[in-house]
Amino acid sequence: MSDQLTPLRSNGSAPDRPSYGPAPSNLADILERVLDKGIVIAGDIKVNLLDIELLTVKIRLLVVSVDKAIELGIDWWRSDPMLSTSAADHELADENEQLRARVRELESESESERARR
Amino acid sequence: MSPTARYVFAVARSLRAEDLADTVGFHDVPLDVVSHRGLSAVVCDVELAEFGEEALTKNLEDLAWLEWAARTHDGVVWRVAGLATCAPLRLVTVCSDDDSVRAKVDALHGDLEAVLDRVEGRKEWSLKVLAPAPVEREPVPAPSGASSGADYLRRKREAAGRRRELGEQALQAAEVLHRVASEHAVASRRLAPQDPRLTGRPEPMVLNGAYLVEADQHESFRAAVAAAAELRDDVSIELEGPWPPYSFAVLS
Repeated sequence: MSDQLTPLRSNGSAPDRPSYGPAPSNLADILERVLDKGIVIAGDIKVNLLDIELLTVKIRLLVVSVDKAIELGIDWWRSDPMLSTSAADHELADENEQLRARVRELESESESERARR
Repeated sequence: MSPTARYVFAVARSLRAEDLADTVGFHDVPLDVVSHRGLSAVVCDVELAEFGEEALTKNLEDLAWLEWAARTHDGVVWRVAGLATCAPLRLVTVCSDDDSVRAKVDALHGDLEAVLDRVEGRKEWSLKVLAPAPVEREPVPAPSGASSGADYLRRKREAAGRRRELGEQALQAAEVLHRVASEHAVASRRLAPQDPRLTGRPEPMVLNGAYLVEADQHESFRAAVAAAAELRDDVSIELEGPWPPYSFAVLS
């Protein structure tokens, strides 16, 4: 269980825990197991799985410091559609930087060109 | 107490109900076993006020509730998998009563038997391969006479090249380790790498593999993967198991 999740458990209905079971594992592993895997049997209570998938996306956003992760350059892998958006943003920023540098370069070139004349 | 329904955790074979006597489901409600044609559905009572359609729509949006439900579900599955051959169900499978549970087991009987055949005597291992945490991005040089745009672009290119090289090495390590793990397993699956925002680790995950391993092969599986990982100091690994065979409990 990662520490950063603790504040998110703050609503009063705080979960009782079973006294047996697996060694504590992180929420990512648990959610992957119980939401993405396992046998799907349509119960009598209709739960839209799409809603659940949306929820996991929301959790990803909720959980921690998105900005930290992007800053660290996670988007470099682009293995995750959630991340590719930020990857695209980053690329755009990179491209902007490069274009600015290129403009500076051209400006200094034409400057020295003029100086020679 | 509001009207209740039956929450189904897993379907098992050769499960003795009395072995679950000390195990509880949600809110410490005792577990029950619904038996049908040789299969046992592990269930517990839940209130519709909490697990009904309307309530679930709301509760699943509550991270604390979801985490509690997920951990409780997972805990029961682990317990059952420790006692018998077990096919875990996806979270929040809720039936109105035992007859409905039986009807569903009946309808899927052949498929469930096939899943249980596949996982019998086997457990799942998880192998995650993590690339090194990305290096700091190059600081943008302050404009000065000594630093031309061309220099700047060259440095950017070199930094990008180094990042790419590290990434390619890590991906290659992932391939090697996945191959070694698969060779020591009866089945394997590659899952989507987990988001660093959810794992809380900055290292990008380049492999999230699941491996179904025979009961008497756990030690050799672990040793083989650990030995292969020793040779790759360009990545770190997380090797966990044995787990209930979640990734291989899929209806075909």
